[in-house]
Amino acid sequence: MSKELEHSFVSQLEENQNIVHKICRLYTNDADSHNDLFQEITIQLWKAFPKFRGDSKFSTWMYRVGLNTAITLYRKSKRSVDTQNFDAVGFKITADEYDDTVEVQLKLMYDAVKQLNDIDKALVFLYLEDKNYSEIAETLGITEVNARVKMNRIKEKLRTILNP
Amino acid sequence: MDQLELLKQNWKQREQEHPKLSYAQIYNMLFKRSTSIVKWIFIISILELIFWVGLYFVSPKSTFEIIEKLGLMPFMVGFNIVHYLIVLVFIYFFYKNYTSIKVTDSTRSLMDNILKTRRTVKYFVVYNVVAFALTLIIINFFYYTKSDILLEAMAETYGTIPDGPEFLTYFFIAQIVVGIILILLLLLFYRIVYGILLKKLYNNYRELKKIEV
Repeated sequence: MSKELEHSFVSQLEENQNIVHKICRLYTNDADSHNDLFQEITIQLWKAFPKFRGDSKFSTWMYRVGLNTAITLYRKSKRSVDTQNFDAVGFKITADEYDDTVEVQLKLMYDAVKQLNDIDKALVFLYLEDKNYSEIAETLGITEVNARVKMNRIKEKLRTILNP
Repeated sequence: MDQLELLKQNWKQREQEHPKLSYAQIYNMLFKRSTSIVKWIFIISILELIFWVGLYFVSPKSTFEIIEKLGLMPFMVGFNIVHYLIVLVFIYFFYKNYTSIKVTDSTRSLMDNILKTRRTVKYFVVYNVVAFALTLIIINFFYYTKSDILLEAMAETYGTIPDGPEFLTYFFIAQIVVGIILILLLLLFYRIVYGILLKKLYNNYRELKKIEV
């Protein structure tokens, strides 16, 4: 019984591991913390797996557990952020000196997203994953209206970060 | 917001950059936690051994002189040899627990291993506390039966002691009080160090049990 459960869990996670990697990419800044968070999410998923009834898709459930882990568990051990502000500032100077190429814009935007708080990041993440507002709302456990309002505020925040 | 759309397109393109973990790699992650706890038990037991051996080298020479004069040296040496052999056996078991949890292949055997580790640690703690208390009792018993030699030896090492019998009464009361305090400290130390690790291990066990049922 337990063997089957293990097998079904691991193979599904192997198939969908990209989701976890993407969460790690947004919430961490180096390879080590990326791997740490990946493992943490794997363990949390495994713990929660017996309760996963299959009434939502495995991937949807992964988004929920993965983001919750990144937001709650990982926040306690604050391993990221600090260096980020500095990088972003450094990049702004170069951005002024050169033309706004696509690459620079991307980097600036990416850094701006990383400066958001953990919950806002989760919303942006789902937005980048091309989820619609009802899916975002369901994953994060908020109402659809709330998700829309929040997303608009985040866009506002990002604009302020990009053009202070 | 244009930049966000730009990021969204790029976000998808970058998906290929992620490392691809194999089935086995993910599988092993599930049990990493218990492995690291058992590893710590192993490491701490070695550190503890180093600490006690180190303590032997820094304890004052005069203690050994008195023990020598009382003719307790053979007992102390013998006792220490047996004691460290037993400790080494425990460390070997801790090491075995650590390696067997590392290669554990099913939930069932992982649970068995967790229980085994907990049991080993419990025996280790009980052994240490009992051995410590016994040594104290035996040494003080010797001191008591040979109190005249003890007084003489102490006078030689520390200078003359004026009021012999009264001093001995205080000496034994002090020995008992300090002995009890040391045992309590030892228990506290084990409670904190191993208590935390065992609790974490037990939590893992409970999680696993939920899955088993």
